Amino acid sequence: MTAHFVDLLDALRRRSLRMAGLVEELVKESCDAVFQADAEKAKGVVQRDNEVDAEEVQIESEVIRLLALYQPVGSDLRLLCTVLKVNNDLERIADCAVNVAERARHVDARVLAGPFRDLRQMGPIVVHMLRNAVKAYGTQVVDDAQKVLLEEDAVDALYGQIIRRLVAEASVSPEKIASYLDVLSVAKNLERIADHATNIAEDVVYVCTGEIVRHRKNSLIGDARSHRG
Amino acid sequence: MVDVVEDQSAASVEAPRMPLFRMPAVRAPSTLPMPSSECVIRAECLSIYYGSFAAVRDVTLEIPSHRVTAIIGPSGCGKSTLLRAMNRMNDFIPNSTSKGKLFYRGQDILRPGHDAVELRRRVGMVFQKPNPFPKSIYKNVAWGASINGYQGNLEELVENALRQAALWDEVKDKLQDSAYDLSGGQQQRLCIARAIALEPEVLLMDEPCSALDPIATARIEDLIDKLKARYTVVLVTHNMQQAARVSERTAFMYMGELIEVNDTTIMFTKPGNKQTQDYITGRFG
Repeated sequence: MTAHFVDLLDALRRRSLRMAGLVEELVKESCDAVFQADAEKAKGVVQRDNEVDAEEVQIESEVIRLLALYQPVGSDLRLLCTVLKVNNDLERIADCAVNVAERARHVDARVLAGPFRDLRQMGPIVVHMLRNAVKAYGTQVVDDAQKVLLEEDAVDALYGQIIRRLVAEASVSPEKIASYLDVLSVAKNLERIADHATNIAEDVVYVCTGEIVRHRKNSLIGDARSHRG
Repeated sequence: MVDVVEDQSAASVEAPRMPLFRMPAVRAPSTLPMPSSECVIRAECLSIYYGSFAAVRDVTLEIPSHRVTAIIGPSGCGKSTLLRAMNRMNDFIPNSTSKGKLFYRGQDILRPGHDAVELRRRVGMVFQKPNPFPKSIYKNVAWGASINGYQGNLEELVENALRQAALWDEVKDKLQDSAYDLSGGQQQRLCIARAIALEPEVLLMDEPCSALDPIATARIEDLIDKLKARYTVVLVTHNMQQAARVSERTAFMYMGELIEVNDTTIMFTKPGNKQTQDYITGRFG
């Protein structure tokens, strides 16, 4: 493969990382918009999602172009496939951030301060997970990716608690069901963001080791680490 | 290394006076025994020299039966030399000597006194450039059998070989035409048919598509895929995409040494050796 291809691949990787940074920012802003009831931030998230959508298309086109023109193999092939998959995850994360931000106008602050305090905990953990996933994507270090995978259980546990609390509260105060549905929407979208961050971390393991660890849980992540070379 | 390349251009090729192989007196194609062992050819610590220069260094490699094994590597890495050793074609190169062992079906073919003529019938070869004899299409395929006193149905043998080489439909109405009237891709398939007519077990292919256009290359690649059901194929190629497309095993050689051999999918997605990684991604070579 030519040095020209190596340059193009590196440029694409950096472009994908810039998009990841933008998406990370949108998620943080969407959490701030909900938990601080900041309508301006919410509006900003919705507007900037268009940038992510446009970038997603551009990056996908470039991946397809490089695959068609250079037929890469080995680590180059793994990186290109990973860029394509991460690209999709990032776009979906941005959509989730928009969904969270759109709840900012509706979520009842008293509900968040009261029975659904867990949701406030969930936000920072998800932001932290995504940050680590993007960092791992940048460094391409398996250890960085594994940190993300370890955090997923905490998010799932919080999400489960919120659902159980919702069911309980809805039966006691059915008149607040609209407000509870807003909480459910935010929780569900944050949980989805955590899932996409996990996907990105798993893709980092693949690009580093060639091992596909999806659906194999943490023990196999450890195996992949021991085989990397 | 000095990569010895013989002139295989069609115009320069005459039918050799002395047979390179010997045909059994009578053997119908349908009775060709299928290989039973997993490993057909095995090199053990094999080194091949041109004078004092070691073109192949201490190579240990197994060629599994009914698989396409590709040997890749930069020019001068020794892949063609290794291929030619598998049917003793290096015997024709002055100053070529070897050390180590090279087994075909458990027999050391480098042992003095080993029947190289019979070996070349069992281990056929297809060269870089199509090299049909200046004879008719029919005679090109029938030649090896007829000079060895083949007593079976020669027409049947020719048709069967041409069918296996995916050429029959294109030439069945002009078998007496000169082989030189065929296109480059057809000539190469004719050469494959010629090799097949001798009922080999192994087909060695030394860059069989390097002189062909993409369409003819695709035909040969399709053909190789079909041939592996009946034959063991060893393919030397500069074209890494071709190795990836047609082979199940790939061996990477560099400066005479075998660097890595593995399943082709693994070699082209997650090679274990950094030199392999650097070569297949074009970082060197």
